[in-house]
Amino acid sequence: MITWLTARRAVRSGVIFGYIFGVSIASSAISYSRFYKTAAQRDALAAAYGSDKATSALFGPAPQLQTVAGFTVFKISMTLILVGAVWGLLTSTRLLRGEEDDGRWELLLAGQTTRRGAVVQALGGLGAGVVTLWALTGLITALTGLDSSVGIAAWPALYFALAMAATAVMFLAVGALTSQLAGTRRQAAAYAAWVLGVSYAVRLVADAGLGLHGLIWASPLGWVEELRPLTAPAPLALLPIAALTAVLLAAAVHLAGTRDVGAGIVPDRASRRPHLRLLGGPIGLAVQLVRPAVTSWWVAIAVSGLLFGLIARSAGGTISGSSVQVLSRLGSRGNGTDAVLGVCFIILAVLVAFTAAGQITAARSEESAGRLDQLLTRPVSRSRWLGGRLLVTVVVLLASGVLAGVFAWAGAASQHAGVSLPALAEAGVNLVPPATTIAGAGVLALGVWPRGTSIVLYALLAWSLLVVVIGGVGASHWVLDTSVFHQMASAPAVPPRWEANGVMAAIGVAGALIGGIAFKRRDLQGK
Amino acid sequence: MAAMAIRTERLTKRYGDVIALDQLNLEVAPGEVVGYLGPNGAGKTTTIRLLLGLISPTEGRGEIFGLDCQRQPVEAHRRLAFVAGEANLWPSLTGAETLRLLGRVQGHVDEAYRDELVTRFDLDPAKKVRAYSKGNRQKVILIAALMTRADLLVLDEPTSGLDPLMEQAFRGSVREARDRGQTVFLSSHILSEVEALCDRVGILRQGKLVELGTLAEMRHLAALTVEATFAGAIPDLSAVPGVSSVQADGRVVRCQVRGPVAPLLKVLAGADVTELLSREPSLEELFLAQYGGGA
Repeated sequence: MITWLTARRAVRSGVIFGYIFGVSIASSAISYSRFYKTAAQRDALAAAYGSDKATSALFGPAPQLQTVAGFTVFKISMTLILVGAVWGLLTSTRLLRGEEDDGRWELLLAGQTTRRGAVVQALGGLGAGVVTLWALTGLITALTGLDSSVGIAAWPALYFALAMAATAVMFLAVGALTSQLAGTRRQAAAYAAWVLGVSYAVRLVADAGLGLHGLIWASPLGWVEELRPLTAPAPLALLPIAALTAVLLAAAVHLAGTRDVGAGIVPDRASRRPHLRLLGGPIGLAVQLVRPAVTSWWVAIAVSGLLFGLIARSAGGTISGSSVQVLSRLGSRGNGTDAVLGVCFIILAVLVAFTAAGQITAARSEESAGRLDQLLTRPVSRSRWLGGRLLVTVVVLLASGVLAGVFAWAGAASQHAGVSLPALAEAGVNLVPPATTIAGAGVLALGVWPRGTSIVLYALLAWSLLVVVIGGVGASHWVLDTSVFHQMASAPAVPPRWEANGVMAAIGVAGALIGGIAFKRRDLQGK
Repeated sequence: MAAMAIRTERLTKRYGDVIALDQLNLEVAPGEVVGYLGPNGAGKTTTIRLLLGLISPTEGRGEIFGLDCQRQPVEAHRRLAFVAGEANLWPSLTGAETLRLLGRVQGHVDEAYRDELVTRFDLDPAKKVRAYSKGNRQKVILIAALMTRADLLVLDEPTSGLDPLMEQAFRGSVREARDRGQTVFLSSHILSEVEALCDRVGILRQGKLVELGTLAEMRHLAALTVEATFAGAIPDLSAVPGVSSVQADGRVVRCQVRGPVAPLLKVLAGADVTELLSREPSLEELFLAQYGGGA
C-alpha cells in the first residue's frame, strides 16, 4: 500500500524530471552540433574551456570538447547533477517526513505495518521514481544519439543517464536518513541541503586547479564526476556511490524503528523561554518565521560568493583571447577576473531567486495550513499581511544581493584580484531584479491560482535556468528573452543595465499589485 | 437602537452547483448566547467564514455590530474574537509566544484574566505548539479569544479535543462572558453544551436555517413524550388527534403528542391508567426530529 502510494507520486515526478533531463541533454547536444560545425571552431572552444579553472570549478572538468559527447557532458552534467540531487532530497523528505508530518502515516501504522516496514515500502516507491527518471533520461538521450550529427550509442547514453541519476539516488538516501533525524520535513530537507552544499563546495575546490584534485573523492558529487560518462567511462566509481546509498538507506531503516512516529532522532526541545521581542504584529511574525530558512540561504550565498571570489583571479589568469569570446556567449565580458566573476554571479543570481521563491511559497503555506486565519480574523487586513510579507521579502533580497557582492569581494581581495568593493556590491544588487520578477510572478499566482503558487514559481525558475544554461551555445533571442537570468547583465564583467533591471523590477511590482488585488478579493483557500 | 451583534440578509454561498448556505436571515442581539446546530456539511462553518470575511458571499450580506463583514472586516474584527474548530498555529512558537502575538494583533488583552485562564485551562505556555496535543492547541486559541473580552465571541466547534474537565472550564468561561454582557455565537455538535449555555438555538439543514428560537419555543412546537401504564384494557391511541409514534411494551404505551394534549387526556381518563409520565423533548430529540431520527 505504502509502496504504491509513494511510487505513484515519485514516478509522476520522475517522469517530469526525466523529461526535463532528457530534453536538456538533447538540446545541448543538438545545439552544439549545429553551432560548432567545423574542427577549427571546436578546437577554439576546447582551447578556451578545456583548461579554464573557473569553468572547471563551476561545471566540472572539460575533456574532449571537440566532440558532441564531450561538450554535452561538460555543458549540462553539473546542472543536472545538482538538479538531480535537489530532486532526490526534496522527493524523499516530502514522501517520507512530509507524509508523517501530515499525520497520514499514523493511519497506516495503526494497521499491521511496522515503522521499519513502512520506510522500506516507501523507499521501494521512491526507487520506482528514480528508475523512471533514469529510464526516461536514457531513452531521450539514446534517441537524440541516433541523429548522425550527434552520434551517441545506446549503451553510453544509458550510462550517461545513470550518472545523472546517481546523485538523485544518493540524495534520496540522504533525505531518507535526515527524515529520520529531523522532527519536521522542512528541517529534514535543510539537513540534506547542507550535505549537498558541502559536497558541492568540496568538489568545487577540488576542480579549481589549486592542486587539490584528490579532494574529489571526498565529495559524492565528485564520484559522479569520476564516472566520466561519454568521455572515459570509469564504472568503478559506482562502487562508493552504491556503498554510500546502501549505508544511508540501512541507517534510515534502522533509525525508523528506534524512534516515535512524528518525532525525530535529533531532540527537538519541547519547551523554551519565550522570545517576545518580534511578536508585536504580522511583520515581526514574518521575520521570526522566515529567519531559519533565510539564514540557510544567506550562508549558502555568502559561502558561494566567497569561493567564487577565491578562485576568480587564478581562473581569470588562464583566459586567452578566444576564451573571452566564449565567455561572452554566457554574457560575460571584461578582463579575466571580472569575466569569471560575471559567470559566477549568474549562479549567485539563481540562489537569490530561490530565496525569493522560498519567501512566496512560505507566505502561501501560511494560508494553505490555515494559520493565516488566526491573523485575518483579528484586526489585520489582507493587504497589511501581504504587504508586510513582501516588505520582508524585499529586505531579504536586497541583503542577499549585498551579501553575495561583499563576500565575493572578500574572497577576491584575499587573492589580490584587484576588484573594488563598490563594483562587487553593485554586482550584488544587480542580482535582485531577476529575483523581484520571480517573486512578483509568485504573488500573481498567489492571487489568482493559489494552489499553483509553488508550481508557477519553480517552473519559472527552472525554465529561466535551463534557458540560460542551454542558451550559451546559441538560441533564438526570443527564447533567451524569456529567462530572467538572461535579462540580467553579467556584472561585474559588464556594467549593470539599470533600464533592464528597472523593467524586471516593474514587472515584479506589477505582478505583486495584481496578485495582491486578486488576493484581497478571493476566498481564502486551504490545500 | 443598538446594532445587532450579528445580522445577515439572504446570505448565500454557492460552490458551482453546490449550495453551501442558502438565503440565511439571522439576527443575534447584543448579550445573547446563540447556539448554531447542524450535522457535518450543513453550512455552519461556511456561515462563520462568511461572517469573518474569509470568504465572500455569492448573494446577500452580513453585518457585525452594523459593520459590513466584507467591506469593513478590520473594524468588525476589532469587536469580535474567533475560535476555530481546528487550532492551526505556528509549530515553532511556544504557547506564551502565540498568546503574546495574538493579543498584540487584537490590540486589547485583559492580562490578569489571561493568566487566570492559563491556570484554569491548565496550559503549560512554555511548550512549543509542535509539542502540544490537539486539546492543548485548542486551549491556546480558546484563551487567545477569551482574554480579549471581545464584545462578540464567534465559536466554531470550540471544544473539539478538550477533555470533560476542560469542557466544564469552557462552559464556566462562556457563562462569565454572558454575565459580562458579551454576545456568544456557538456552533457546536455537542448538544448538551448548547442546551446548557444558549438562550436561543438555530438549526441548519443542507444550508437552510430550519429552526430558530428559544428552547422553550422549540419544545412547544415539538412533540411531548407521554408514557402511560395501564391496569386494564389498553385503548387505541393512534387515532387520537395530535398523537403519533405509538409504541406498546407490555402494559406500557409510549407516544408523541403534538399540539394540545386535551384529546389524549380525555381518552386516558376513560381508561384504567396506573401511572402517567410526560416529559419535554431534549435538544437531542429536537435535533434528531429535524433530521428524521425520530423524537
